[in-house]
Amino acid sequence: MTKIAGWVLVIVGLAAIAWFGVLPRVRPHIFHGTVIQSSTAAPAVDLISHEGERVSLEDFEGEVVVIYFGYTFCPDVCPATLADLDEALELMGDGAEDVRVIMVSVDPERDTPEVLARYVPAFNDDFVGLTGTRQEVAQLATVYGVYFEKRDVEGAAGYLVDHTASFLVVDKSGFLKLVLPFGTSPEDIADDLAYLAG
Amino acid sequence: MLLLLGVMAFTIFEPIQVLPRIRLAPGYAMTDQTGARLTSEDMRGQITLYSFGYTHCGEACDAVNATMAGVAERRDEVDLGGAELRFVTVSFDPERDTAPALAAYASQIGADGDMWRLAAPAPDLTKAIVGSGFRTWYEPREAGSFAFDPTLVLVDGWGVVRGEYRYQTVASDVDKLIRHIDILGEEIRNSHGAATVAYEAAHFFLCYP
Repeated sequence: MTKIAGWVLVIVGLAAIAWFGVLPRVRPHIFHGTVIQSSTAAPAVDLISHEGERVSLEDFEGEVVVIYFGYTFCPDVCPATLADLDEALELMGDGAEDVRVIMVSVDPERDTPEVLARYVPAFNDDFVGLTGTRQEVAQLATVYGVYFEKRDVEGAAGYLVDHTASFLVVDKSGFLKLVLPFGTSPEDIADDLAYLAG
Repeated sequence: MLLLLGVMAFTIFEPIQVLPRIRLAPGYAMTDQTGARLTSEDMRGQITLYSFGYTHCGEACDAVNATMAGVAERRDEVDLGGAELRFVTVSFDPERDTAPALAAYASQIGADGDMWRLAAPAPDLTKAIVGSGFRTWYEPREAGSFAFDPTLVLVDGWGVVRGEYRYQTVASDVDKLIRHIDILGEEIRNSHGAATVAYEAAHFFLCYP
């Protein structure tokens, strides 16, 4: 009887080691958003940066690229997301060197390169603001799963832009890898970006 | 011990089938048969089966429409754990497919307007949405007709394409679609707790049905 109890203890012990000790090491990284298993490169980007230069994803080869669709008149969601992204990069320390954050404006009529230059780098010097013609931006947003539409409001702004608030991560090989929802904490963002940058 | 681990691994991984997360479905804003806005954000959290066509389509759209109707009829067979199954037929002929034209066609093919909606994008974004986004090929031909590749696309609540069914290469059938939708349902029902880990891991083992 004692012998059986001993064996049960050994088995339970080994199972506990397997479950708590080994599994966390061998199981895949659990991302905080939705993983995409795309077999083709992320849709091409060809827009004007806040510094007035044409920019494509190839310019950031070897970097993890976070793409966010927002706009400078955005009252709450956009500044919150950009601030979270800045905090995530801060948490990553040196690991953040291989990460690039891009904000594509969904309000290209108002967000000229000059306007973006006053807004985007205020969150982080290395963030890049992108804009283009309405058609260029709309086509890019479409293939990145982002919806946006103007909504008239009273007051000085004239209109706001409803838009998909999640943001996208392109891995170092240029594949769209991850969609993170609005409200993902800086810690969780940093965790996923550090995994992809590592 | 090995046997025990084997049994554990079997029970954890064997019954799990997953659909690949192929790519992001496009973001869009369209107008449906009632004249209402229909956006990709409205579909968030729901499972959506998309088809593509146009109201002057004639017999070329019969097979796809019948498949949509067939899946719609059997939707009660799947448990989506609180999510709903929606159907959207996207027109690639937005100039002619106004809300009234879509409404007339909807009643012809049995689309109720709530669970199954017909919608047309803005003309200048149709190619981006249908062609680049949903990867469905179409091309205008003479006399207002179109050549196109009849396709069904299954999209999950995250806006990720989980299944593509092309009539030209693989004949789609209602049974298969129901089975795949059921797999998404199982994923939703297991989306909390330890089962999530097994699901994430299952994606690495490529157990695609």
